[in-house]
Formats: sequence, C-alpha cells, structure tokens
Amino acid sequence: MADEFRVVLKNCGKINPGSIDDYIGAGGYQAFRKALKMEPEDVIDELIESGLRGRGGAGFSTGLKKRFTSQACLRCENRYVICNADEGEPGTWKDRIIMENDPHMYLEGLLIAAWSIRATKGYVYIRGEYFKAIDLTEKALADMRMKGFLGEDILGSGFSFDIEIRKGAGSYLCGEELTLLESLEGKRGYPRIKPPYPAEKGLWNSPTLINNVETFGCFPAIISKGSGWYRSTGTEKSPGTKIFTISGPVRKPGFYEVEMGTTLRSLIYDFAGGMIAGKEFRAAILGGAAGTFIDESMLDCETGFDKLREKGATLGSGAIIVMDKEMQVWEMLNSILRFFEHESCGKCVPCRVGSRQLLLIMQQIKRSENSSRLKEELLEQAMVMEKTSLCPLGQSHILPIRSALRYFYDDL
Amino acid sequence: MTQDVTIYIDGRRIVAPGGQLLIETARSNGIMIPGLCYHKKITPTGACRLCVCKIKGMNGFVASCTVPVTQGMEVTAYDDELEDMRRFLLDYLLSEHNEEFDGSYDDEFRQLKIQYNLEEKANRKFPSIWKQLNYPADKSSPILSYDASKCIKCFRCIKACDEVQGKNVLSFASRGITSYITAGFDNWKESECDGCGECIQLCPTGAIVETLHRDKIDLEKTDRKVISTCPYCGVGCQIAMLVQEGRIVRVNGAEGLPPNDGRLCVKGRFGYDFVHSHERLTTPLIKRNGKFEPASWEEALELISSKFSSIKHEHGSQALAGYSSAKCTNEDNYLFQKFVRLVFGNNNVDYCTRLCHASTVVAMLRSIGDGAGSNSIEDYVLADCILVTGNNMIDTHPVTATFVKQGKKRGAKLVVIDPKWTPMVKYADIWLQPRLGTDVALLNGMINVIIERGLIDMEFIENRVEGGIESFNQLREITKKYTPEYTEELTSVTASQMMRAAILFARSKRSMVATGMGMSQQVTGTNNVFTLINMLLITGHLGKPGSGINPPRGQNNVQGASDVGTSPLTYPGYIPVGNDDNRRRVAEIWNVPYEALSGKPGLTTVEIMKAAHSGEIKGMYIMGENPMITDPNLNHTEEAIKKLEFLVVQDIFHTETTPFADVILPAASFAEKDGTFVNSDRRVLRVRKAVESPGDARQDWKIILDIANRMGVNLGNYENESDIFDEIALAAPMMAGISHDRIEQRGIQWPCPDKDHPGTPTLFLDRFNTPSGRARLNPVEHIPQKEKADLDFPYILNSGRILYQYHSSTMSRKNNALNEFANEAYVLMHPSDAEKNGLHEGLKVRLTSRRGKLETNLRLSEEVAPGELFMPFHYGESAVNRLTSDELDPHSKIAPFKLSACRVEAVVAV
Repeated sequence: MADEFRVVLKNCGKINPGSIDDYIGAGGYQAFRKALKMEPEDVIDELIESGLRGRGGAGFSTGLKKRFTSQACLRCENRYVICNADEGEPGTWKDRIIMENDPHMYLEGLLIAAWSIRATKGYVYIRGEYFKAIDLTEKALADMRMKGFLGEDILGSGFSFDIEIRKGAGSYLCGEELTLLESLEGKRGYPRIKPPYPAEKGLWNSPTLINNVETFGCFPAIISKGSGWYRSTGTEKSPGTKIFTISGPVRKPGFYEVEMGTTLRSLIYDFAGGMIAGKEFRAAILGGAAGTFIDESMLDCETGFDKLREKGATLGSGAIIVMDKEMQVWEMLNSILRFFEHESCGKCVPCRVGSRQLLLIMQQIKRSENSSRLKEELLEQAMVMEKTSLCPLGQSHILPIRSALRYFYDDL
Repeated sequence: MTQDVTIYIDGRRIVAPGGQLLIETARSNGIMIPGLCYHKKITPTGACRLCVCKIKGMNGFVASCTVPVTQGMEVTAYDDELEDMRRFLLDYLLSEHNEEFDGSYDDEFRQLKIQYNLEEKANRKFPSIWKQLNYPADKSSPILSYDASKCIKCFRCIKACDEVQGKNVLSFASRGITSYITAGFDNWKESECDGCGECIQLCPTGAIVETLHRDKIDLEKTDRKVISTCPYCGVGCQIAMLVQEGRIVRVNGAEGLPPNDGRLCVKGRFGYDFVHSHERLTTPLIKRNGKFEPASWEEALELISSKFSSIKHEHGSQALAGYSSAKCTNEDNYLFQKFVRLVFGNNNVDYCTRLCHASTVVAMLRSIGDGAGSNSIEDYVLADCILVTGNNMIDTHPVTATFVKQGKKRGAKLVVIDPKWTPMVKYADIWLQPRLGTDVALLNGMINVIIERGLIDMEFIENRVEGGIESFNQLREITKKYTPEYTEELTSVTASQMMRAAILFARSKRSMVATGMGMSQQVTGTNNVFTLINMLLITGHLGKPGSGINPPRGQNNVQGASDVGTSPLTYPGYIPVGNDDNRRRVAEIWNVPYEALSGKPGLTTVEIMKAAHSGEIKGMYIMGENPMITDPNLNHTEEAIKKLEFLVVQDIFHTETTPFADVILPAASFAEKDGTFVNSDRRVLRVRKAVESPGDARQDWKIILDIANRMGVNLGNYENESDIFDEIALAAPMMAGISHDRIEQRGIQWPCPDKDHPGTPTLFLDRFNTPSGRARLNPVEHIPQKEKADLDFPYILNSGRILYQYHSSTMSRKNNALNEFANEAYVLMHPSDAEKNGLHEGLKVRLTSRRGKLETNLRLSEEVAPGELFMPFHYGESAVNRLTSDELDPHSKIAPFKLSACRVEAVVAV
C-alpha cells in the first residue's frame, strides 16, 4: 500500500499544536528566518519557480499572485496578507486539519508571504464554527508575538507585522475572496465587482494577497528545501502535494496528503481502503458542491489541476465524496442545488433566480416520465448562469449539473 | 483631467473620456444598453446583468456598468446571443416579480418588458414564482410604501440612501431570492429614515413609491413636468413638479442640474401640498368693525393707496415702512424696495435677513467685501477639513449636508462646533460643545493655538491681508491671553479637544467653513463671524476652491432679496444708499429725479418695530413675512403692531400677523410665479409657474405695481418678470451679465459682469472685494453676555429649527406629510436638570423669561448641555420669541435669538 507524502502535514500528530516550542523543535520558523535574509523579490522568485498553485480550488500560480500584489502600488501606505480559512466547501476539511494539528505551519507561510510583499497587516478569516482552529490560532499568534515573530521589528529585521483573526459567520459565499474582503471590512457578504483584483485593490482599496490555508502551509517547505526540490514532487504542471479529504462509504474515510498525480483509484482504494463491505462504487464528487461528478471510468485519471480539467472534472478543494450504488445521483445533485440556493446572496439576477428555478426543474425531472427536454433546460439555464453571474457561486451550478448529465444522464 | 480615448461599439467609433464607464459612454452616445441596477449617481453594482456586452480580449460577457473604457476597446453591445441573454434575464426577473401596475410611477422594468416582447405570458419560459415567496410589504412610513414583490433588488435605493444622501438607513433582510429591503429594524416608520425620498426617486420599478396622491396620479393624464426652484431653504434645489389636472401631484429632484443633482429633502419632496391648501387666501380682505370681510381688488387697493397717501401726507414720508420677503422672487423684491424708495419716499425696507445672517453679512462685507458664500456647494466634497459651526445643517440645509457627508466619505475631517448636539455630530471627527454665547472666546482660543504652533500661512497674510504682518501682530496681541486653559474656563470646551480641532483646521490643505444661525443670532453675532474670518485669513483658507466661508442661507431667496436691494442701507448690488454718487446712479437707472430718492439710510427690521412702538412709524406694508412669530421679543412687537395706524399684509395664508392687519391681500405662491431665486452659493436660478393661483390671488409684483400706480408713481413698464430682471441686471453690477434666457437651462453664480461671463464658482481667487483688494483682520475680544442666568431665570434657552417644519411654518404646517413627522412644540431639557426639578418627559411646562412667557411640552434629551434649553421656533402656539430679547448686535442689528435666560415650571403642580 502506498504511503502518504506529508509536507504540509509533516508535523501532524507528532507535535503539540499548542506549543510553539514543539514547532520550533521540529525545525519551525527556519524557513521564515531564511526568507528574512533574502530579498523579498527573491522570495517571490522562489515561489514562482516552485510552480506552486493555489490550493483553494482555482489553482492560480501563487507566486504570480504575490508578484502582482507586490508590484501593484509601490506608494501605497498599506498592503495586506489574508489567509482564507473560511473552509466551507462541502466534503472539505483539510484546512481544519492543518489548523488543528499544526497552526504554526500555515502562519509561518503567511509570515513569509508578508515579508515578500512588505505587507503591513495580516488577517486570518476563519470559519466561525471552527472553534478549535480559532483557539489554536489565537494561542499561536500570542506565542509568535512572545517569541518576536510578530510585532515591531521582527527578529531585528526592521520588518513590522501583525496578524489578526476574524471569524466568519456561516456564509458559504464569504469564502469567495472578494466577498471575504467585504466581510472583513465589516460589510455584508456580497461579492465585489472584478476587476479590480485584490492584488491591485483589495482590503480597504489596498493591494492584498489572499491565499488558502493549505497554500500558505506549502511555503515553509518551499523556502527551506528550495523550489527545485518542490518541483521534483507532484506532476510537472501541478507540483507538490495535495491534501484530499475522502468521505462516503469507504473503509477509511479521512484526510490524506499525497503527491499530485496520484490517481483517484489509488486515493479511494489504497488510501481510503476501498468501499466498505457490500457497497459498490457508483460515483464520486470531486471538489465539493462547486465540483464535478465522476464515474468509474475516471478513476485512473491522475490528480492535478490540468489533467482533471481536460476531462471535464475539477480538483477543487480536494474533496472526494464517494457514492455507492444505493445512493441516487438525483438526490445528491438536488441536495447540491438546494445548498446553492440557500447560499446564493441574491445580489445578481441569474444566480438569485436561477438557483430557485433549477430546483423547480429538478422537481419536474423527478416527476417526469420523459425528462430529456427538462435536462436540456437544466443545462441551458446553468450555462446562462455561468456566463452572466457576478461571482463564482452562480458560475458553479454548471459544474455538478454538466458532469452529472455527462456520466449519469439516465440515472437522473 | 482624464484623456479622451477612442472606442468602438458595434463598429461605431466613439470618443469618450478615459475611465468613463462603458454603459455611460454608450448611453450618452445614444446606444441604450439596457440596465436596471445602474444609475449614474451611484457606484456600479453589477447586479442585474442586463448590460452585459462582449469586449474583444476579455473572456466571456462583461457587465458594461462595471468596465471603464480604455483606448481601442472593441465592444459588441448588440448581437443575437447578447439579446437572447438579456431576454433570458428579464424573463428570470419577471418570474419573481409582481407585475401589477397602477400607472402612478415610471417603471423602467416594465418598459424593458415591452421592449423585449415579454408582455405575453406565452413568450416567457419560466414559471412565475413570486407568490410562493411571501414577500412582505412595509406601509408604516408616513410618506412611502415598500412592496418587496415589486422589488428587483437592484441596490439603487440602498445606495441612494447611503451614497447619495449619506444616511445609510436601508439594507437587505434575508438572503437570496427571499431577500427584501428593510429600513432600520424592519419598520420604516421607526427607522432613522427622515423621509427625503431619494430611494423613491431612484427606484426603477414601483417597489418604493410615495403614498402622497398615489391614488390620484395617472402618468398618462399628467399635463406637464415643470422645473423650478424649491421654495424652502436656501440650497436652491432644482425640482421637477408633476402637474395633473392643474394641481401639483408629485415633486422629484431634477436630475443632472446643479446644485442638487436630483437630491431633495423631505420638505422639498413632500412639502408642496400647501400650494393647493383650502386655507389659501383667495380674495382681498378688509377689516371692518374688527372683522375681516371679503373685498374686491379695486376696493382694497383704493383703500391702501388712500391710507398710505394720507399717512405720508400727515406724518411725512418717514412714517411708512415695508417688510419684504425672502420667500418672494428677486423680481418681487426688487419692485418692493423700489416701491418703498419711490412711493413711500424713504429707505425703510428690510426683511428677515436682519434676523438671520445680517451679522454674518456685515462681518463678511467688512472683512472680505462680499456677504455671500465664497464657494460652491460642490466644494464641500473637495475640502480636506470641514468646519460646521452653529449650523444644524442636516435639519436646516439637508441637501448641503449631503455634500458635507460626501466630503467626509472622500476623506475630509469634520469638526462640528455647537452647544447643542446635532445629527451632524454623528459624522464628526471632533465635536466642540461651547457654552452658549462663548464663540469669540473659543475661536480666539483656536487662533491662539494656531499662532503658537506656527501653523499660520505667512505668505497669505503678507500678500492678501491689509497691513500684512502688522495687522497680524495686532490679532496676535489680542488673542494672546486666550490660552487653551483660559479658553476652557470661558467656554467649557476641553483644551485638548479645542487644540486638536485648531491644528486640524490649520494644517489641512483645504478647509471649508459652514457657519449658521448659532453664530449669527447673537448680540455678538458680527464679532463671532469676524473671529471666524480671522482664523480663515491667518491660515490662508480663503479664495481657493475647497477653502472658504459659507453661510448656508435659511430661506429660498434670502440671498437674492439682499442682492436686489431689499435693504435700508444698500441699493441693488450692495451699493450704499448714503452716498450721493450712488443715489444719482440709481435715480438715472430708474429714470427719476435724484431728489426722489432719500439719502437717509432706513430703519432695520427690529428698528422699524421699535419706531412703530414709539409712534414714529404709522403705516406698514408687509409682504410675505410673519413678524408675530419671527421677530424677537414678541410682546413688544405685538404692542408695536397694534399701535400702527394702518397695516397691509400680503401673503398666501393667514398668519400670526394677519389678525393685526387692516387689509390682507392674497398673493401667488412660488408655484404660480415666474422669476428667479438666488441660492446660498450665489446661483441665480429660475422659478417657473406650474399652476394657476387660487381664487383672486395675484402675483406680488403686479400688486406692488398697482398700489404704486394708484399712489401716482409708475414703477416701470414691465411686460413680464424677465423685463424686471433686465432692470435688476442694470442696477446690480454683479448680475449685469445674467438674464432669464441665459439661465433657462442652469443657474449662473454671480458675479457675472457681462453676457459672456460664465459666472463665478469661487470668490476671491485673486483679490478680495474691498477697495484695496485685500482682506481685513478684525481682532475682537470675548464680551460676556448681558443676558445672564440667575436665581430667577436659571436656564439659558437656545432656539432653532427642525427638519420637518420651516420658518414660521406658514407653508410647512399645511402639509400632512410633514406634520406626520413633527407637529408639536416642545422644549428640550437635559435629564439631570429635570431630575433636579422633579420634572418629567411629556410634562406641560411654563417657560418665563424677563420679557414674556409661554407654555409647551417638556422633552428630555442629552442633546442640550445641563443648564441649557432648546426650543424649535416654528410653532405659533408656543412662540419662542415671546421669550427672546431685542437687545441688538451694534454692528448688524441682529437680535439674540439663541440666548435668553428662562425658568421652567410645571403648569400643574407636580
């Protein structure tokens, strides 16, 4: 059986997450010390070289994001780094695992990012229900201040920086980066118009770098071991590791950090131990609600941003929700669409009205003998929503709908 | 300045200012891309998605309301795919929409529905779901109703309230498709909504609609829309009156026109019903045996001319006087002062400015040479520091306040100086709360700090102030003793707060001052404003856009009435009457012998009443004023008025003054007139007739001409108001270039010396309007008030205005909409004072001053400082001026409305 390849989670279960000394004892903050001795630009170069792509779901080059932020406005008084810890994608709990087991890992990454773009202030926007993660992050920040990793003139470098925690209040949409900014500014969570992008005008109109917890968690290893090493792991287009959270009727549901490129079959059958006795694999949903259905034929596909995309699937957040033959795809899709309808903020017309209209069609499909016209209608509306919606939420309905129709047309 | 860029929309080449939003560029070039959430007054929202376009080089569709145009941009605004998409989205919107339509409002959504051929249900794809959504409605507000089933959630009302009016009362409740607009905590009436109605004006469907006349309005039956100038305060808002069957049925702000760009306040939008009130005067009334009886114009005019003539004959020309009106047009006022000077043969003509900003004007004239606001209203948005002193602007000049709030939003710091809490304090960075009557001390203290800290603008002092450094040294000498500690002792303002304010004001690049009645209506009113100007001059904050002194004027045409010479001291254009050359010049324009004009300066408002009291004035002609509410020391005024031999009151309603008249003449209201008003930033604005006058009511200027004719004087041969204005332009040099036809589209700010001059947004850019061209410092000392609290009169009473009523409430109280917000007199007292005296909220109390007494209701509020009281002055049943003093400011003759020692007792023993 294959082994995990733990980079972000290397200390998970091995150290006391509430102890900064444990973290330091395990080599923690060496990467940050190293980065402090480098020019900020060189830190960014290193990250670009590493090929690291955002682990929040979209897979944009992390280093480039930083370069844009650092170059956005040299005269700006303020510059922010934000960690998006508002993990809300159904079936996803990788960020919680990081925060609950090794909070210093991602905070060190955040610090490295702050130094590289000369940020003035950092925020961690944590999902409000993640009580343990919030407590541990709070403790970690206090310890970092004590040790001189935060505050004025960090480690005598002349660099001053601090981090504050903000708690989300249960809105899925606030995990979308522009909506998160609104929420951070104390406003209601409505998506912003893009452009401008956060790199240029983010929090309070200042250049802002936003990354996911897991993305920040990759930074220390990249700085410590070098971009060359990082590139040697994972695949060419998607280097590094990825934490997958596998749920459903499998023997060992849970989280697994593996190299990119590991096949879905290996994840489900090797790591998660395969289907529990008496259950037969029917489908999996990759990436959560804003993700895609796959069937058995996709299981040998390598994981990675581009490989999956080529086949119409998504890597997304790394959620793998496994379904057995007794579970109905209609139920699952309907549940996802109900979730979207509940979370739609109502700002733009296509998402607000479409979210509800799609549910009506789903009901009709259920009742209908011959639903092919209705299925077409479902697809057409979701496509218009994708094309015209203001933010990624309204653009996401198409993902589960198209993939469900592609693989399970007759089951719907 | 942004550079122009060239873009292509559907192949058409268009040049547009770079950075302009694509939808704006398209629409201003006649390409009417649909869109419901976009409005040019608010930030883009991108919610309705109807304005999606394709832009070469960009992925997918782009909402054109969110994209600035850039050089070479190639846009597809219309193709089959885009139009299908728009139809699809409209169809979506219709499914959640209640389409009932009563024809009483403009429905942009309905128009698009027709345009996209979606009227027929058969052409639609989506099932209607709005009924399942259980949308609520809120009908609690006195002026509007909200129906969520007609709401398309476009955010325009929210942004109208927040971004345009700076009030931020509205937001969404719930989420997604069930979300709806809510005011405050889900009850409009109990929210902080003050009724300005900006949300109504920007609502594209019929979700938020005014309740006023909703049952009557049928847009297909309306006769016309008339653009005119609001008849309430001096902001000069441009209004669009909707006329149906000869009656005004709705007022909106006129979009795109300065100064208000469509904004209004609750009075401007909902205070027009007085025009059609059944209480309007419709026929002349003559008092016979103590009772008023209807009379013909012939009878009334004959009686007036014979009485005025006989008084003049028996007691000499000085025995007559006139009060003109800030509510009337320039044309009315001009003829009124001409009437007094030529028919009465004296200069005894004055009006309410004497009671509001006379001291401000005197101080400004002496210091900088012009008594009008030095800047434009828009300058509040440019300023880096805004000082609002003695000016409850959110209540008294609500639309000016929106500009201040926008300035604040843009990043300006806001300092409020007021003894009483005002809503503007909510927006302020610093609030200084001096004791009543200590403004000179406070400002001298600020000047002291500015000098001590070296924050003066020496270059400005040397180049633009008379006497340069020497004058400055005199000011420095006088203000030396006003150390922060001493100032705190006099004013009770904490030294550190005062210092912060002074430093902020001096250091800011551009500082603007708005000064109000709190400063001017005092025995030391002129000194207060002198001190304020001193502070502006030593910091160089005058004569620049975004820097200057601005007294927002209280009434629609206070500025204009002064400009056109309704003053005992000056001819039209602020030309002093006591000067022979000036007399000759005016006599020549009026085509009368020089001797026909009296060279003796006339009496001011309060002096006229005093002269009536002593018997020197026997006859009075009052046009559109209500001294029995507005004059100080009303008991004395009442005695004076009763002593008059003959009094003519010309008004649109019975007032507290009309019972004392011998003849009452029914006049036309603003909505029945053509002419002009001048607003607070010197903009000459058109007033246009919308409806006919009721009964036999006539236009003021025509009445004046008739009386003059009957008394043997031809004041001129005017065909219309435009002719009168042409004569004003001859007489008042600063309006020489203005005429009715030049201001047909938008107003012009004086000075405008010739026909080609564009007007002057900012005064004093190069020189001050003094003979030397330089400004004068007028250092003054703090003088303790004569009117003091003592054991018998332990409280100091302040008076002022509230948002929902106006002046003597002759007009405002005839509107149910306004009365529903506020219709009760009261006095505010600090709760600690009430506790000490065993008084409680709602109690009927008697206030007694050294001059009189009144009864009113007690309200407890921390808005006033302990030891101080506040009363609105609008209500005749508890007229605060029964209590005020007529001790006058020696420079300007203004009375101290803001300061009267009083005692407060329960009417029934507690």
